[in-house]
Amino acid sequence: MNARQPEQLPLTRSSVLAAHDVIKSRAHRTPIFTSSSLSAGITAGNNLYFKAENLQKGGAFKFRGASFNLSRLSHEELQRGVCTHSSGNHAGALALAAKERGIKCFVVMVKIDAVRSYGAEIMFCEPNAPARAATLAMVQARTGATFIPPYDAINTILGQGTAFLELSEQVPEKLAAVITPVGGGGLLAGTALAAEGTGVRVFGAEPAGADDCARGLEEGKRREDVDANTIADGLRTPVGVLNFPIIQEKVERVIVVSDEEVIEAMRLLWERLKLVVEPSSATAFAAVRNPAFRELGIKGPIGIILSGGNVDMSKPLPWVVL
Amino acid sequence: MNARQPEQLPLTRSSVLAAHDVIKSRAHRTPIFTSSSLSAGITAGNNLYFKAENLQKGGAFKFRGASFNLSRLSHEELQRGVCTHSSGNHAGALALAAKERGIKCFVVMVSLSAKFSLVFRLPCMSYGAEIMFCEPNAPARAATLAMVQARTGATFIPPYDAINTILGQGTAFLELSEQVPEKLAAVITPVGGGGLLAGTALAAEGTGVRVFGAEPAGADDCARGLEEGKRREDVDANTIADGLRTPVGVLNFPIIQEKVERVIVVSDEEVIEAMRLLWERLKLVVEPSSATAFAAVRNPAFRELGIKGPIGIILSGGNVDMSKPLPWVVL
Repeated sequence: MNARQPEQLPLTRSSVLAAHDVIKSRAHRTPIFTSSSLSAGITAGNNLYFKAENLQKGGAFKFRGASFNLSRLSHEELQRGVCTHSSGNHAGALALAAKERGIKCFVVMVKIDAVRSYGAEIMFCEPNAPARAATLAMVQARTGATFIPPYDAINTILGQGTAFLELSEQVPEKLAAVITPVGGGGLLAGTALAAEGTGVRVFGAEPAGADDCARGLEEGKRREDVDANTIADGLRTPVGVLNFPIIQEKVERVIVVSDEEVIEAMRLLWERLKLVVEPSSATAFAAVRNPAFRELGIKGPIGIILSGGNVDMSKPLPWVVL
Repeated sequence: MNARQPEQLPLTRSSVLAAHDVIKSRAHRTPIFTSSSLSAGITAGNNLYFKAENLQKGGAFKFRGASFNLSRLSHEELQRGVCTHSSGNHAGALALAAKERGIKCFVVMVSLSAKFSLVFRLPCMSYGAEIMFCEPNAPARAATLAMVQARTGATFIPPYDAINTILGQGTAFLELSEQVPEKLAAVITPVGGGGLLAGTALAAEGTGVRVFGAEPAGADDCARGLEEGKRREDVDANTIADGLRTPVGVLNFPIIQEKVERVIVVSDEEVIEAMRLLWERLKLVVEPSSATAFAAVRNPAFRELGIKGPIGIILSGGNVDMSKPLPWVVL
């Protein structure tokens, strides 16, 4: 670390606002979508506002956290490049953010994924945590690259929270609630921080096959393992150490949905909004359509963050019966 | 017709501007999409600007023409409702435009068969249109339509071969040219009946923007007609681009002949590849007909034109039968 490195921002709404100031020239201010037919399908008659982060650079909201992380590195650190482990959207986001700044990016992956490499140097490892950690350590030893974590880091959380700031500025009426999918919890935690003091109620959505967050909230303790048995591939990670307490404190509830509900919601979004969104994103919309959400009796507009659209197009769509 | 019915506007750019004034409060001003990766894939380095009419009301640009047509009807005509024949986007567009105005809509559709999916029937029904089926031939269709009109007095709103339809469709280009941050060198649209291409060509008049059309090889009646100097009445309609299976209309053809520089023909393989790229990179659900325009820009014939500068591409619609496998998926 060198003297010019900025001080670490605390986990507050003000910090999210500061993060937004930093990244807004780099990230897309993604549009808001509405649909009378999708809103009409919600029994309580809430207007739905979809924040289309599938249209974000790299195809997912992760670009925000990646970009903010890079903005906090010193000149020397940038010259040595960055590294991470991820088979998902974070890898693509970091690679793209790094490429835009002309810096090197090294990604440790288990297998080739639908996410594009954007010119990052990729190293494969065996599909277990020790192997992944060892390969990452080797990369860092060789290059001196800074590790940018996929979700469990303050600057990542702050970056992700900027999506909610934009959403609340872009909608023509005050939101009653906002909901995001939860995997590692960076987006949900960041959203919860950004919503602090606004009166907007914050909810999470999780698939039943990877419901470690919902269970952890019930049990009062973060779960370290998750079954990861869900089509929502972006949500297969357990909630992070930093993210969980934020979610415990500021998120009203995490609603759990089945894969069938996720697939149905995904199809509706593709058909009615004409947007390509991944199952993880559809999870948030599935939760709004779920009876558990209806029972909350929320009146007023709901914001839904559609987290990403990186889908493996070579595979059949999950709702197609062959 | 009654005295209050407005005079028919002529086929000019001014008329398209007037049409836009009328419909802009009803139609969506659909966004423009860009993509560095898709633009980088174009050899000449042209910036591509995609007008996302798949995000238009009813999922396709047809809403513009339908809406403008309805705006020209008298109060008495509106009360008797409107009718049309279409198994595609025009039916849904007219049904939606009619529903928004609280007027009745009757649609004559070819009997449900393997060729025609629920994609268009269900939205029409959900928009409140009354649907009548007929045998899949022109005389049967005309007879059923005539029966509807006799029964209801509804006004026939044609899918593409009508002045007000053409003027309405042309409003997409007006918005596109306002929305892009730089002056377009060219614009390209798919061509089926030719309403969108003709409307675009009218709207581009005098702007210096070169106008092109895109057609699938299996339904290339427009390109051939231009070569032969005469509109073709028949078309093979053998293409995945279901929205482009109609022959070019009588009104549209001469406009295209005069104002469109060229219609580029692409294979279904090119269409499917272009469609996949749009879904993957723009994250937009667009139908094969829309992808045809992008496929044409990627085709060598377009490159050989040596156009320098930004290209506008009108993505005409996104009504895809989601129950079917995607065309590029190998099972």
